[in-house]
Amino acid sequence: MAMRIPLQIATAIIVLGGISGMVLPEYHLRLLNLSLISAVAVIGLNFAFGYAGLISLGHAAFVGMGGYGLAILTTTCGWSPWLAAPVAIAATAISAGLIGYPLLRLRGHYLALATLGLNVSFYIVTSNWIAMTGGTNGIARIPGLALGSFSFSGEHQFLWLALMVLALIAAAAAALHKSRLGREMIAVRDDEIASEMTGIDTTRIKIEAFVLSAICAAVAGCLFALHMRFVAPEDFTYAHSITYLAMLIVGGEGTIVGAVLGAVLLTFLPEWLRFLGTAYLFFFGLLVLGILVFLPTGLVGLGQRLSRRSAKTPLLASARAPEATS
Amino acid sequence: MKITRKAGLGVTIGAAMLSFVSVAQAQQGSPILIGATVPMTGPLSLTGKQYQNSLSMAEEDINKAGGINGRHIKIVFEDTQASNGTAVNAFVKLAQETKPAFFFLSSYSTQNLATAPELSKVQVPAMYAGGADVVADKGNEWMFRIRPADSVSAEGMVKAAVDVIKAKKPGILYIQNDFGQGGAQTAAKRFEAAGIAVAGMEAYGQNDKDFSAQLLSLRNKGADAILIFNYPQDGALVLRQAKQLGFKMPLVTSSAALVPAATQLLSPSDLEGVWGVVDAFMDVSVGGRMKDYVERFKSKFGVDPDPYGLAYYDGAMLMADGMRKAGTDPKALREWLSSVKGWQGIGHVYSYDNKGNGVRDLAVVKAKPGTKTLELVQPVSLN
Amino acid sequence: MADFVQLIINGLAIGSVYALAAIGFVIVYSATGVVNFAAGQFVMFGTFAGVATLVNAQLPWPFAYGAALLIMALFGALFFVSVYLPLRRGSIVTIIIGTVAVSITMQNAALLSFGSWPFRLPSPVEDSAVSLGGAIISLHALAVVAVTAVMVAGLWLLFNRTSVGVGMRAVAQDVQAARLMGLKVNRLLAFSWILAAVLAGVAGLMLGPMWFADVNMGDPIALKAFAATIIGGFGSLPGAIVGGLFVGLSEVLGASYVSSAYKDLISFGIMIAFLLVRPQGVFGEKIQDRG
Repeated sequence: MAMRIPLQIATAIIVLGGISGMVLPEYHLRLLNLSLISAVAVIGLNFAFGYAGLISLGHAAFVGMGGYGLAILTTTCGWSPWLAAPVAIAATAISAGLIGYPLLRLRGHYLALATLGLNVSFYIVTSNWIAMTGGTNGIARIPGLALGSFSFSGEHQFLWLALMVLALIAAAAAALHKSRLGREMIAVRDDEIASEMTGIDTTRIKIEAFVLSAICAAVAGCLFALHMRFVAPEDFTYAHSITYLAMLIVGGEGTIVGAVLGAVLLTFLPEWLRFLGTAYLFFFGLLVLGILVFLPTGLVGLGQRLSRRSAKTPLLASARAPEATS
Repeated sequence: MKITRKAGLGVTIGAAMLSFVSVAQAQQGSPILIGATVPMTGPLSLTGKQYQNSLSMAEEDINKAGGINGRHIKIVFEDTQASNGTAVNAFVKLAQETKPAFFFLSSYSTQNLATAPELSKVQVPAMYAGGADVVADKGNEWMFRIRPADSVSAEGMVKAAVDVIKAKKPGILYIQNDFGQGGAQTAAKRFEAAGIAVAGMEAYGQNDKDFSAQLLSLRNKGADAILIFNYPQDGALVLRQAKQLGFKMPLVTSSAALVPAATQLLSPSDLEGVWGVVDAFMDVSVGGRMKDYVERFKSKFGVDPDPYGLAYYDGAMLMADGMRKAGTDPKALREWLSSVKGWQGIGHVYSYDNKGNGVRDLAVVKAKPGTKTLELVQPVSLN
Repeated sequence: MADFVQLIINGLAIGSVYALAAIGFVIVYSATGVVNFAAGQFVMFGTFAGVATLVNAQLPWPFAYGAALLIMALFGALFFVSVYLPLRRGSIVTIIIGTVAVSITMQNAALLSFGSWPFRLPSPVEDSAVSLGGAIISLHALAVVAVTAVMVAGLWLLFNRTSVGVGMRAVAQDVQAARLMGLKVNRLLAFSWILAAVLAGVAGLMLGPMWFADVNMGDPIALKAFAATIIGGFGSLPGAIVGGLFVGLSEVLGASYVSSAYKDLISFGIMIAFLLVRPQGVFGEKIQDRG
């Protein structure tokens, strides 16, 4: 019973993703892969923001730490990506803990701007620490991932990797949502003082949420490096952090389905607007604003409203209920 | 000033629509498709627009001259923004949906580096204008550079400082990106090799607006000339602030500070004591094909052409020449391009080596006193 | 010594621009609680309003400046109606994302109407400079510092000596109470946006001649204005000024005496340090809760 929803989500991701992989042309497959990578990062952000209420505008820095970690270990040190990825992810988790410990005393827009400053600093360091990061030239020739003779290099092959990772992360996130830790995070978000009084160590919960979010970010960073086979400082700027947050809000904050939907929508939306020529960013901004104004609970909220209006399927409603937190 | 620019925009739109119509009419037999990924929005669109214009002009000229053995060409553009990811997306979109026989990539090295793995998958020849040496050193056999590599530009600037200005203690100021960092390092090594001590090296960020600290620090370290590795707008700003600070020492700037988009920001006095090491000397006084190109570009788009755009025009002409002689089969075309020796473009002479570097000539220029008109000091050809 | 004076003046001139951008940001924040990520684009619009009136329409100075600021005032009103009112019930994050979305639209709109070439905005004191102890100080830089000082004095008068200003402060402290007191809250909120836009316009008009104008200039300015706001104290006007000048000076002096490659780390490092040690900044914030 406890594992039903995580399994449903994981199955849905693999089935829907697999079907899309069969019908989509290769270019859209690439966008799908990019949106799945973003979705992994956004699910991570959902731990920090959706559950624990920590506004982070520095998420891309953790994606970058994962990506750079893998890139440096595989190119400079010549490790296998299978070994480099866990090390990069662990290193990112540790740095997130160290950064989070002093930083997470801040709240609201203070935390937002502090993490923004962190992301800007990450950019300055990666573009100037030439010996380690190659500076603004970035790191090229990152080896692809291979399993025996099967290489995840084409978009089709990579799709399976991305789907498996995303399904795993999403299932873990859904399981966590129902766990004690998940409930504690939400309690901290909803009322910090009250949760402190019930005996929850709010600082510890916040740091755990932050580290979990950084782990997902690092996983996304590793996927990014293995997909692009190239990393550079400008792939991980604060603008990317804002995009991750926008994906979460547009999809529906606090929900895993929303995180995935938001990542897919905001990756494909510029593509659908390409017919507008150089004016596409103009309309992209307006459309996002429109979604925020007219769908304050995001795509997931829209889905709920529609399903509630058309047929009041109790099964659907109950399957979503534990997900919708607000 | 502004009115011409607006008119220019009108002309551009008109021209774009016209070329659209003419292409539509000329579709007896499908045209040869060419993909071009250039920055059309974002901070890099300043230069991207030039590439788009000069490639459109090349397309028209090639088709007017009978196309490729009777077949027309059609260039399809996609926007790269100032982002590696978008650049690769734009490339893959073209590769998958348009399936062009040839590519033009942007002039930004990181975008070139990010796109290189995808290009290897597609196996179609491409021309690019990013300067970083590392792009060619990574050895992608499908990529051909149509501009001098950054190390060539840096070498040219060192040559100008040593031979023309006779600097004894040069300082280096560079922008913190792949171009500036790479160029400054190469220049420092060349000076060292020539037995000249560098007074100091200072950096500035891509969005910086005040360079007084860097300039003053170089002056205090006793620099008798400053080499500046810059992009267009910041380059213009550095030149202006150096004059405002009362600098009298010679300044050697890289190509970007003397493109029309940058010089329109400057007064003639800002260019006193400034030597530019530009990709190509572009002036109607050169006559011949250069005069024709400069004048037609200006009347067509309402703005002056720059050497970067010219490199794309030359590249397109070289491509057309190759397609006429070797056909559009990717392998045959690649073989033909890599064997090009001494091909006379308008801006450069193209001879490809085994890394895909094709250009090793530059020009040292200087503004005529009291004007912003550039004149040739001396051409530079390396190796 | 001459160099030091030179650096201080240049740092103050840059800092003044950051300060004005930060003041606009703070006025909006304290009145409406909105963290405006489009603040940098406001300044960019200000510069391009100047481009439109001075360079394109070729109006004489006073009219051109007046017209540019009028355009900005109208823009502030438009922003109030079309972005703030629809978004105001959203969470902090919704508003952050909303203003980022608008700033993408603003930047693209500027690109579409003005193109990608940078502009040089003229200045009434073009190219004149004075010599001060061996340092060469451009008159425009001095004018920037002076105009900022005048604007700050004007704001102080507005907030302390006029009913509108006092009303704005009342709204900033407690919207409900202000409404009960019979204040026309919406009108005051609209006025805050207009004021912020006009201040951004002044900043834009002043930095145009120093830095050139291009459509991508907004975001870097916003980042520095954020750092200034944090250092000075979130929601504090004197804080925005001190913070702005501090960031400007640290940029120039840091590049000179520490490292030109890492100088921006100094501003942001100090900003993070302030957040950790003294989140209320130099001057503190009266209204909002903080960590």
